[in-house]
Amino acid sequence: MTWDIVGMGAVSCLADEPRAIHEALCRGESGVAPLRAFDRAAFRVQNAYEIDDRAVPGRDEPGRASRWLRAAVAAALADAGLADAGPADAGPADAADTDGDPGGSRFGGIADIPVLVGTTLRESRSAELWWRDGSELRPADLHFARIMRDAFGTVRTHTVASACAASLYALGMATDLIALGAAETVVVAGTDSLTESAFGGLDRVQHPAPRSVRPFDRDRRGMVMGEGAVAVVVRRAGTHHRPAHARVRGVAMNCDATHPTVPDPASVTSAVREAHRRAAIRPEDVDLVVVHGSGTHHNDVVESRVLGEVFGPVRPGPLVTSIKSGLGHTCGGSGLMSLVVAVLALQSGVLPPITDLRRPIPEARDLRLVAGGPALGDFTTAQIHAIGLGGINAVAVVGKAT
Amino acid sequence: MPGTPAGRWAVPPDGTPPETSPVITGCGLAVSGLRDEYDLLEPTATGAEHDPDAGRAGPGMRHKDRASRLALHAVRRALAGAALPDPAATAVVVSSNFGNLDTVCDFTDTIAAETVTGLSPIRVPHMSSNVTAGWVALEHSLRGPNITLCSGTTSGLDAVFWAATLLAAGRAEAAVVVGVEPDTAPVARLHREHGARSWLDGAACLIVEKPEHARARGVRPRAVITGYGRAARRDDAVRQATKAYDRPLGLWVAPGPGGLDLTARLGRCSGALGVLQCAAAAARFDRSADDAVQAVAGDEHTGARTEGDPGGVAALLLTRPESGHPGGDRHDIRV
Repeated sequence: MTWDIVGMGAVSCLADEPRAIHEALCRGESGVAPLRAFDRAAFRVQNAYEIDDRAVPGRDEPGRASRWLRAAVAAALADAGLADAGPADAGPADAADTDGDPGGSRFGGIADIPVLVGTTLRESRSAELWWRDGSELRPADLHFARIMRDAFGTVRTHTVASACAASLYALGMATDLIALGAAETVVVAGTDSLTESAFGGLDRVQHPAPRSVRPFDRDRRGMVMGEGAVAVVVRRAGTHHRPAHARVRGVAMNCDATHPTVPDPASVTSAVREAHRRAAIRPEDVDLVVVHGSGTHHNDVVESRVLGEVFGPVRPGPLVTSIKSGLGHTCGGSGLMSLVVAVLALQSGVLPPITDLRRPIPEARDLRLVAGGPALGDFTTAQIHAIGLGGINAVAVVGKAT
Repeated sequence: MPGTPAGRWAVPPDGTPPETSPVITGCGLAVSGLRDEYDLLEPTATGAEHDPDAGRAGPGMRHKDRASRLALHAVRRALAGAALPDPAATAVVVSSNFGNLDTVCDFTDTIAAETVTGLSPIRVPHMSSNVTAGWVALEHSLRGPNITLCSGTTSGLDAVFWAATLLAAGRAEAAVVVGVEPDTAPVARLHREHGARSWLDGAACLIVEKPEHARARGVRPRAVITGYGRAARRDDAVRQATKAYDRPLGLWVAPGPGGLDLTARLGRCSGALGVLQCAAAAARFDRSADDAVQAVAGDEHTGARTEGDPGGVAALLLTRPESGHPGGDRHDIRV
């Protein structure tokens, strides 16, 4: 069984729609900039890949992850032809709901569509601003049901908080719903904004402080957080009235259960093999891999070993890239963001390079890392990795729409 | 697809044969005043008050966040000392809305007072919403899909639905499902600011597995997960959940009058509610002749009641296993 990707939307530090993001990455752009969200004096890490959209520069505000999610989902639905324009301007759910579904009229027919939102941090930033600065927080503001109900009328929102593998997990869960006949169409999304607790926590355990994400480079220092949201509309293959962007061939998800923070190469390898099995492909069918590539010491060594293990005998082997040098680590949404870029590479034949990759790590010597400029080719099959805290892995295989 | 309940997993159009529906085979609670799931059926607390997190310095508990400690206690009780036969094929699904809220808030306080150098590296993983699912997997070497849901008050019933979906999709043979909400300072403040006088401090765990898996390892099915629905209105959610069931419903386990209202007894249970409700259903099948229990979580009025949750209403239908019989043994396993 396969699934069609019929709509895509994304918001990031580089651009606010998928094609513009793909083009900026192909030009080797990076969205890294001096930290704006928090008082820089309290941190050692001084940079981030932020979306600079605060009403008052330098003053953080609640609800940004929800805002981008709404924009990305609206764009994906519009791209799929399931909505006319931008987000509906519905009032708060409290006012609208006494009986029946509120909102949704402008997005006619989508109130029954499940929305699976992958996120590492949910609206934790809103909680921080509530706890310390006294802004308002309702219990339900921590997850994304309200924003999805207000904007699109759906009451089938699931907030999937499986760390930085969350949005690819959500994709796997969506394919299951469709395969089991429980839905025909699912919106899969991811969103995260910088939180002080996560940014500070990562800062605390990374020495020396990274200035940017440098995947697979000897001079990498670790992960720098980014902000963004991404959404795709997934349908049972062949049921949509418009051509699909690409086809999901299979998604694997598992857990290392070996260490809270260090990924286990055997477990990641097993997720890759399971994804191939579900997609009914062989390693030599894979043209390109968008790795997790978070630029930490452990991650890049582990992914190099995994790719060596899976693709070792294959010549020349797939092209390998990471989008995190351009977009930062966008946490829960990062896997789906990688997938959207992979889909655009299948469509355009242009695969973005790892921005700023100069001296590859020795473990990656046999990999065809894309550096210096985009790689061109007639790509048909892409593999995407997402690896999250707690040892959780998701691997997706997407193919060119036929 | 309009008209198709987004929540059922009836695989073939002619309906899933009952014997292939996933079953609940184990329950474990870590809740003050409750010894086990049978106590959920009693209108007044019978068990002695105790700290559900007693033994926090015990093996595997040191340096963990409160939500994870509660969850690990509940999982140990549900497994009752037996290891799952195939940890590589066992999934973990955790539902929690406030599990990491104390770490998030503590970290911002510490950063404001001492900069990031004041943060404890050991606590860094606790800031992630999925910390509990990670610890549960690690303690029991569970290598199947590892899902954390933070979807509001429907989240606990949603978690059972997703566990069933993972089994139906061939991603796991069994799943450890946990609902946990710790009572920490930020949780207490948030609830108080929104009209609550009491709220849960505890965890519940269910072992969900394929019936043939349960048979093969010789454990007794205690409840069958028969249907699920999610809708803006309670009636619609229940209709979806009961679509393939035409016999009388027994007990309703739902907020409000007319059934077993766990929130009246335990306070707001948030993401743990649905998991506690399913544990109550398993106990009920042992203590009554009911053939079905209808669990309902979430609020169709998104305003004042319960947690003001806009995520709609989730309904889960649990039925008596074919081989089920009243009068299961009370298990007094203490870990």
